[in-house]
Amino acid sequence: MAKILVIGAGFAGHTAALYLGNQLGRKHEITVMSNRDVFGYVPSWVWVGVGHMKPEQTIFKLKPVYDRMHVKFVHAAAKEIHPDASDQFVVAEEIGTGKEVRWSYDYLVIAPGPLLNFAGTPGLGPENGFTHSICSLPHAIKTRDAYLALCERMKKGEKVKIVVGTGHPGATCQGAAFEYIVNVHKDLLKKGLRDKADILWLSNEPELGDFGVNGVQIKRNGIVQKSSEFIKSVFNDHGIRYQVRTGVTKVEEGKIHWQNYEGEEGITEFDFSMLIPQFKGQPFKYIGKDGEDVSAKMVNPAGFVLVDGKYGLPYPELSQTPEAWPAQYNNPTYPNVFAAGIAFAPPGPISKPFTNKNNLLIAPAPPRTGMVSGVIGRVVAMNIVDLVKTGKMTHQERMTEMVAACIASMGDNLWDGNAVTIVMRPVVPDRKKYANEFGRDLFISHLEMGLSGAWMKFMLHYTFIWKFKGLFGWKLIPE
Amino acid sequence: MQNEQEFSKAEKFWMNFKLYQLWRFIVLNVKVYTIAVQSKFH
Repeated sequence: MAKILVIGAGFAGHTAALYLGNQLGRKHEITVMSNRDVFGYVPSWVWVGVGHMKPEQTIFKLKPVYDRMHVKFVHAAAKEIHPDASDQFVVAEEIGTGKEVRWSYDYLVIAPGPLLNFAGTPGLGPENGFTHSICSLPHAIKTRDAYLALCERMKKGEKVKIVVGTGHPGATCQGAAFEYIVNVHKDLLKKGLRDKADILWLSNEPELGDFGVNGVQIKRNGIVQKSSEFIKSVFNDHGIRYQVRTGVTKVEEGKIHWQNYEGEEGITEFDFSMLIPQFKGQPFKYIGKDGEDVSAKMVNPAGFVLVDGKYGLPYPELSQTPEAWPAQYNNPTYPNVFAAGIAFAPPGPISKPFTNKNNLLIAPAPPRTGMVSGVIGRVVAMNIVDLVKTGKMTHQERMTEMVAACIASMGDNLWDGNAVTIVMRPVVPDRKKYANEFGRDLFISHLEMGLSGAWMKFMLHYTFIWKFKGLFGWKLIPE
Repeated sequence: MQNEQEFSKAEKFWMNFKLYQLWRFIVLNVKVYTIAVQSKFH
C-alpha cells in the first residue's frame, strides 16, 4: 500500500487530492495535511472585498469531501520535510492542540500556496502595515470593512484617493488586482460615489495589460490586438488613472513610496489601498537523515520547490526555450517529491524583467494560480497514480503548452454586470511552436468584454465549487 | 476599439446587448470548455 501525502488544500493540492482519492483512495493511503480545514474559492474573494458576496459563500469544509473521496485529512501546519530515501516523513503542528505529528510518505505533493511576503515591503499589508489585500479570506473581509467605511466617508462628501495594484517590484497576480480595481469602480458608480474617488492603478508591469504573462495578443479581422490597448481602453472608459513600470518600495500611513524604470523615486498618497504582496514559498525546513539542512537540493532562495525545469537561463534565452519550463513537477534529487501550484519554482519570469539605475529589479513574477494550479495538481496526481500502478510517469504539461482562461469581472450583476474574458494559449509564450513574435496561438487566444463574461464568472463560481466538492460529474469539469 | 484609447459607441452597445451577449456566452463556453478539456489528455 502506497502512502501519499499532499500538503495544502488549495486549487493545486485539493485538485490533486480529488484525483488521487478517486484513482487510489480505496487501496492506498491518501492524506491531505492543511492548516485550514476549509477550501476557499479564491477568485470570488474579489467580490467579498467590495461587500458583494458573503465570505461563507466562498468556502466549504474539507473533511466531508475527503471522507467521500477516501482521503484522510490532517488539520495541521507542516513544519519540516525529511525527504531522504530511507526515512521520509513530514513533521507538523496540529491546529488547536499544538501537538507535534509525524507523517511518513512514499510520495509527497507540496502545494501549500504562497507565503504572503508583506515583510518584503516595509509598511505593506493589513496586519503590520497600512494597505489591504484580498489574498486570504480574513484579508478580504478586512478589506471589505475598510472599503465600506471609506464609502461612508465619501457619502459625507469627502473626496478620497484609492490605489490598487502591486505592492512589491516582484509581485504577481496583477489579474486579481485588476479585477478588484474595476469592481471598486463599478460599485462606486452604483452607489453614486464615483465622482468622490480618484482611482489609480499602480503596478510593476512593463505595460498595461501585461498581467505577468507578457500580455495577451489576439487576432481579430486579420489585425493583431494587444491587451495593453484593450486595458488602456477599459481604464480610460472608467476614468481610472494608471502608472506602470513602478516598484513599490515602502508604505507609510497614507503614502506609498515607489521607484520606476527611470530610477525616479516618488510618493503617491492614498486613503485606501489594496496592493498584492510578493509571493514566496512556505518556510518549511528541509532536513536530511543526519539532521543536515538539504534546502539547497529542494528549494530556490525564495522557498519555491525546484522541479524538472532548466534553471539559471538568462531571460533572452529562457524566452526562446519552452522546454526550460517544467513538465512533470517533481524534484530532481528527490523524485518522489512533487510541487504543484504556486509552490514550484518557475525557471524565470514570463514578462521582460527590468533593473533600473538604482539596481532595483522590477519584474512581475509568473502567475501560477487558478487554472494553472489546478492543471498542475491534476498532472502531478495522475503521475503519482502512474508510479503506483506501473512505476512510470506518462503525464506532462508545461506552462508553455497550457491554456488559461481568466475572467475579470466588473460588477457582479447579471443584468448590467460586465467582465473581461481572457483566454491564452499557451500561458508562457512558445516561440518555437507558434511562428509569431508573441509565441501565442492567435486563433485560440481571446480577449473580450461584455455582459456574457459576468454570466460566465457567476457560472464558474458555482460549477467550480461543485467540482471541488467532488459532487456528481466533477471530473467532467476541466480545471 | 476605434483607436488605442477608448471603446467606440458600437462596441459599448454590443457589450450590453443581451441577445448578442447570450450568443457570446454560448460561444465562449464552448470555446473555453473545448480547449480546457484537451488538457485532460496530456
